[in-house]
Amino acid sequence: MNLRIVGCNFRTANVDVRERLAFPPDLHARASAELAARFGCEVAILSTCNRVELFLARPHGPTVLSTELATEFLGEVHHVPPESLTPHLYSHADADATRHLFRVAASLDSLIVGEGQIAGQVKQAFEAARKLATTGPLLNALFPHALRTAKRVRTETGISLGHVSVSSVAVDYVKQVFDHFGDKTVLVIGAGKMGRLTLKHLQELKPGRILVANRSPEKAAEVAAGCGGTPIPWDKLDDALGETDIALSTTGAGEPIVSRQRFDKQIRPKRRHGRTLVVLDIAVPRDFDPAIHDGDRVCLFNIDDLTRIREQTIAERQSHLRPAEAIVATEVKNFLDDWQRRKNGPVIQQLRSEVDKVRDEVLTPLLAKLNGKLSPAEKEQVSAAFRLFQNKLLHGPIAALQDASREGEDRGSLIEALKKLFRLGS
Amino acid sequence: MSLSTLQGVSHTCFGLSYLLAFTLELARVRWPRTGLRTAGLVVGAIGLFTHSAYLAIHHPSMAAPYGSLLLLAWVLAVFYFYGSLHHTRQAWGIFVLPVVLGLVALSLVIVSFTGTDDVDIPLWLVGEKFWGAIHGLLLLLAAVGLSVAFLSSVMYLVQARRLRTKANPLGGVKILSLERLEAMSRRAVNLAFPMLTAGVLLGMLMLNHEAPLTLLTPSLKVLGSYGLILVVAMLVYMRYAVHVSGRRLAVWSILAFALLVVVLMAAHPFVEGGR
Repeated sequence: MNLRIVGCNFRTANVDVRERLAFPPDLHARASAELAARFGCEVAILSTCNRVELFLARPHGPTVLSTELATEFLGEVHHVPPESLTPHLYSHADADATRHLFRVAASLDSLIVGEGQIAGQVKQAFEAARKLATTGPLLNALFPHALRTAKRVRTETGISLGHVSVSSVAVDYVKQVFDHFGDKTVLVIGAGKMGRLTLKHLQELKPGRILVANRSPEKAAEVAAGCGGTPIPWDKLDDALGETDIALSTTGAGEPIVSRQRFDKQIRPKRRHGRTLVVLDIAVPRDFDPAIHDGDRVCLFNIDDLTRIREQTIAERQSHLRPAEAIVATEVKNFLDDWQRRKNGPVIQQLRSEVDKVRDEVLTPLLAKLNGKLSPAEKEQVSAAFRLFQNKLLHGPIAALQDASREGEDRGSLIEALKKLFRLGS
Repeated sequence: MSLSTLQGVSHTCFGLSYLLAFTLELARVRWPRTGLRTAGLVVGAIGLFTHSAYLAIHHPSMAAPYGSLLLLAWVLAVFYFYGSLHHTRQAWGIFVLPVVLGLVALSLVIVSFTGTDDVDIPLWLVGEKFWGAIHGLLLLLAAVGLSVAFLSSVMYLVQARRLRTKANPLGGVKILSLERLEAMSRRAVNLAFPMLTAGVLLGMLMLNHEAPLTLLTPSLKVLGSYGLILVVAMLVYMRYAVHVSGRRLAVWSILAFALLVVVLMAAHPFVEGGR
């Protein structure tokens, strides 16, 4: 197999280098076409914020491309001296390259192990290459197998379980309390950056109403306009908390804005039928007194709680690495075996049909000569004996060919020998 | 599968199937693999099939504790199977199967003491008379409702505890939201309440007609009967009290279900015609 991957990722190159080597869509198309034309090989380019990789393949023939040539190409395309890139690049070939791609697609090589985006990015890179017609038999087999492997890893291990962003964890908590959101009210307190991200996640749940409270009425109006909410005066905060289901607090206040005393005296009595209130307090310093959390009528999650879950999830994912690596190893072996079978297939088929022809040339006159002396069952026995002899005769050469492929030996001389020995056409 | 093979089906067949399905569900929590879920569903389906075959072939009397517990276990097994298919991500079996197994085990305990059909059951209660059949059906439907309320309540309390301790929302067993579980409990209680009330009233009327003053005779069976009335009273509270919180509803549902199982085991006097 002639497969080579040359590239860099977040481990080998800092963000400056990765930015310089990135392939925006227009450059991606030009570079792919140029690479394919210049080196006469299959090409795919994976360019994400955490990695840039060139996939170069040629199903047959000599080694596709050296790392040096690929480095030169990258330097040329991005107008960077190649020698400045060399320390940041890695290179993988053949089985090693296959394993690398499978690990990348399965998110085992990601900054956050188990993140789900990378499989989609690998798929996009492959589809883009197919559209540009720069893929061929090898990459067309390799990428789908990598994506299947990623799916296996995701479904058979817990590596992608849980969320690793604070805002996603916050929404997970909300979903543990509420089932439907069309009749729910979300109250946004403050206008912090993290709060906006969490609000975006909450908006995806399609809450019935969004209220926005801010010390500055202009700021409240601005946030409300951005999320389709209703601004409310700051002094109506207690009333709003009384009718809210989900409160998202992200102010820059120097001390808690809702103490336990204030909550018990002014807010709790306003809550109808003991409805549950979920408070997502992602402000630092905290806006709500943690003592109001009772896990029943008031569920409060602050930034410490959310960060703790995020870290737990990352640690938990690490524990699934070993089974995930085992799946990747199995799938790499399956792919290499499949590829070798596919590669040897035409030669083996030719060999078999050639020997079939010889067998028929011997067997047909023999059976004609013995016509009338053998019963149909005896004729079948003779035919079966010839087939068995043929299979035993071919077993050795075919097994040698498969072994040579599996062990990475040069099959060329073996194929030539087989062609000469069995007088196979080219 | 021939009829003679099915006639050989025993408690062991479906009991072990449910136990294995439960073990597979537990394993799925640790190792979330599709294969384990499929295997659990297949084994659960085998359990449900053999359980159904057992009920169809041996048709234990639904008016006797043994039969009623087995039938209740069967209804819950159907609930488990439906829930597992419908809520693919939830750990449904982890909550339902222990109850199914517990009911099957209780029926086994009862049968080891009393045998399957040694309860002298009045004919009017085993369906030979219309009102007897209605009475039995109402009690069974109430038991199903209370069982569902019990299961959703257990899940509610587990979920509430996880929220109280701020456990990882996506870690451990997957459970429905508090809101959904509370709604499920309330619906189940709303179903159980009229059924049980009507069933108990009907039983009392019939009992009074067949054997007056039975309820004044002190015996375990009479106590069981009072237990049934207490369950009705608990349902009245859950159904009509103002602003019963989700947590309180869950606790009361669990108590009501436990009491109902005790009553079913004790064979209330309606079953034995007040003897």
